[in-house]
Amino acid sequence: MAVFKERVGIVSCSGEEIPEGTISRIATRLVLEKLRPDETITICLPLFLAGGEGERTFARLFNTITVDGCEKRCAEMGTKKYSGKPYATVTVTDILKEFPDFCLESRDELSPEECKFAEKVAEEIAKKVDEALDRGKTQIRSGES
Amino acid sequence: MTEIGKVVVVACAGMDKPLGSVARASVFKVVEELRPERVELVCLPPLLAGVGFYAELIKSLPVITVDGCVERCATKLIVKNGGRIRGRILVLDSAKKHNLVPESGSHLGPTGEKLAETIAEEIASEVDKLIQGR
Repeated sequence: MAVFKERVGIVSCSGEEIPEGTISRIATRLVLEKLRPDETITICLPLFLAGGEGERTFARLFNTITVDGCEKRCAEMGTKKYSGKPYATVTVTDILKEFPDFCLESRDELSPEECKFAEKVAEEIAKKVDEALDRGKTQIRSGES
Repeated sequence: MTEIGKVVVVACAGMDKPLGSVARASVFKVVEELRPERVELVCLPPLLAGVGFYAELIKSLPVITVDGCVERCATKLIVKNGGRIRGRILVLDSAKKHNLVPESGSHLGPTGEKLAETIAEEIASEVDKLIQGR
């Protein structure tokens, strides 16, 4: 019998515009590679938006967490538009408000402080992943839209 | 010369493949180091979300797309949105041509960085040609 492994899909903005987009991308990578490698997969946002059926089907059937750099919330909007409401959303600029003296500067190579901030964002995403799995909501949805 | 002497560059920036990260890194090198005055970077998600002025930009300026893999999402999405594509780069082809492979999506490593630099120079060269009207 095939063993079905529950996973959460993470959709990150690719964010070339602003440093917050780079943070969202790196934080997502940290979750995928270090914090929750066995519980998460990433959904490629450009492919998802371009019409990738595999990506859209996964996001329709399983819980997703969107990670956006800014208030435009492109990942969240795209997920809602093509596959339904995400289980949870994380927005870097919201987390940044908790650190009023901290200013992001780089959208390419992160400074050590920016790397630490990316780790904090990654921990927030990991918490949402745990919530999704603990609540047993990462099971195949039944035609929910 | 193009209307206002600028070119739009769009990278796929895909999260799920290291070559998407190379595409992203290469356009940053063009925008921030090689041709900062000549290039407008367009981020795909806001374009598709209808946020900002990107839709007008890709219709009024020549566009170079940089795709990581054979899905060619950047190219598809620019075409779908009425953009004027004048140059296309596929990172996969460049990786094969130069025999340079990135280590991972989060850490390109020396060969991935070299690949990004090489592609950035190719993009800059395409930008120059388009601006000179060749």
